[in-house]
Amino acid sequence: MDRSDRFWNPYVAGVLLGCVLLGSFLVMGKGLGASGAANRLGAAGLDVVAPAHVDAHPVFGPQKHEGRGFFDDWLVFEVLGVFLGGAVAAYSAGRLRVGVIKGPRASTAARLAAALVGGVLMGVAARMARGCTSGQALTGGAVMSVGSWVFMMAVFGGGYAMAHFVRRLWT
Amino acid sequence: MFATLFPFDSLLAGARELGLVVAVAVGFGFGFVLERAGFGRASKLTAQFYLTDMTVFKVMFGAIVTAMTGLVLASGLGLVDLVSVSEGIASPTFLWPMLAGGFLLGVGFIVSGYCPGTSAVATASGNLDGLVTFVGVILGSLLYGEVQPLVQGFHTSGDLGPFFLYQLLGLPAPVVALLVAGMAMGAFLGAEKLERIFSAKREGLPAPAVGPTPARRLAFATFGGVAALGLATLAFPGASGADPSLARVLPVSAAELAERVVAEPWTLRVIDLRGEAACAAARVPGAACVSPEHLGEAGLDAADGRTVVLVGEGDLAGLPLAARAYRGPVMALTGGFAAWKAYALTAPAPLAASATPVERATWGKRAALHAQLTGAKPAAAPAPTGGGKAAPARPKKKGGGCS
Repeated sequence: MDRSDRFWNPYVAGVLLGCVLLGSFLVMGKGLGASGAANRLGAAGLDVVAPAHVDAHPVFGPQKHEGRGFFDDWLVFEVLGVFLGGAVAAYSAGRLRVGVIKGPRASTAARLAAALVGGVLMGVAARMARGCTSGQALTGGAVMSVGSWVFMMAVFGGGYAMAHFVRRLWT
Repeated sequence: MFATLFPFDSLLAGARELGLVVAVAVGFGFGFVLERAGFGRASKLTAQFYLTDMTVFKVMFGAIVTAMTGLVLASGLGLVDLVSVSEGIASPTFLWPMLAGGFLLGVGFIVSGYCPGTSAVATASGNLDGLVTFVGVILGSLLYGEVQPLVQGFHTSGDLGPFFLYQLLGLPAPVVALLVAGMAMGAFLGAEKLERIFSAKREGLPAPAVGPTPARRLAFATFGGVAALGLATLAFPGASGADPSLARVLPVSAAELAERVVAEPWTLRVIDLRGEAACAAARVPGAACVSPEHLGEAGLDAADGRTVVLVGEGDLAGLPLAARAYRGPVMALTGGFAAWKAYALTAPAPLAASATPVERATWGKRAALHAQLTGAKPAAAPAPTGGGKAAPARPKKKGGGCS
């Protein structure tokens, strides 16, 4: 096995990730997230194209006008850190290179189309559920929120239910 | 006891900027660990759903158990308040959109190969499929934002408010944490078994590690140890305090309640939880007799913003399940019906002739309340100089009936 495919033991990674999460809980009273930042990024983009629409919008308007705007937010800065941490980890492990990850039977075009479709579905789903696997399942799950545990079970349910139909992408 | 060391949402101006720097640091740790666990690669993540590599499950639940048991322990030691920290961190529960959103996100996960957070890590490590997924997440969240005002009914359906497993189960949080940790460890062993079975069916896959590796031993010792320590804090006097479900319940004294019952009964919904017989014999005026197990059918939602006042025999031991979902203010009568009886249904002791004007006024108010609540003839306050020995009428025990 070449060095770039060696990953941390999952149990060790889990405990370390839990420590990051716990530290964030205890010090700042905040958890981890991802989709919330994507939402604000999108709203900021929309604001460039249609500022009047954003001003009047019940969801995006408050993001623009509360505090110092779209980027004055815990999750936006936290996700900035995720990009930095991910890049440093990949570089130092010799895995930082441009490419497309796909199963042996999938074409690159199909893979990228699926990535876009799946991403849109997750964007919709995360706003519906008030968070994604990071903010809802991981963070809410760790504080034992009932809604987060329902969400988490549903994520695994959705994944397993769909896996058979998209197996050509991955196996 | 404080909520957290530096609650982010209460940071102002300069300190808030420092808080955002901490946010970057926390995110850095998150991204670094995810990448090193292999979560920047769709092939590693999707293997979870073909049962050949359960890394996603192990890392995710390992992190959940670590943070959960750690938080419960910190709360047991009195460092933080579990419920207030948790309410600040987790969104309130909206059952149906969370169920549907979870399912849809799971579908999006296996189609795109990432979840939103791991797509960011994949982008950072150069994977274009991750970048396309992240762009998709942005577009999808914009799409839902545009549609949300039209589906507001669904978006806010199944509203249970801030609601946690230990409240659902009615168990102390450390007990629930220990149960979750135990179940997770059992599930990890099951996951390893599945990995062995399904990897063997597919050629060319590396055989997964077998047996109790040192890493697994260390992790399991952490989960079990921290959970057990959290449980041990239950033995500390006062450290874990009363039933956490009571945290949002405001205490109300018999005197305060008596005044409100007379002055503004329409702001209250008094519920007597002592059981039919005791409640039928005597109760707070306007109180409904509802046993705790029937509270769910009492139509609490229809109390529309009124303060729900719960009356037990004495102090409440815990908040009944149905009352936890009520979004308006909830109060509990301090000392329960015993305190009510002693205050409102017992005539105030006669006033000494030497009483100060303040004492005189208080006595007069209480005597009037007592008279109103019991139907007893109001006793006149003794004249300041006279030897007014006439004791106020003894309370008549009223049998049932809302007065």
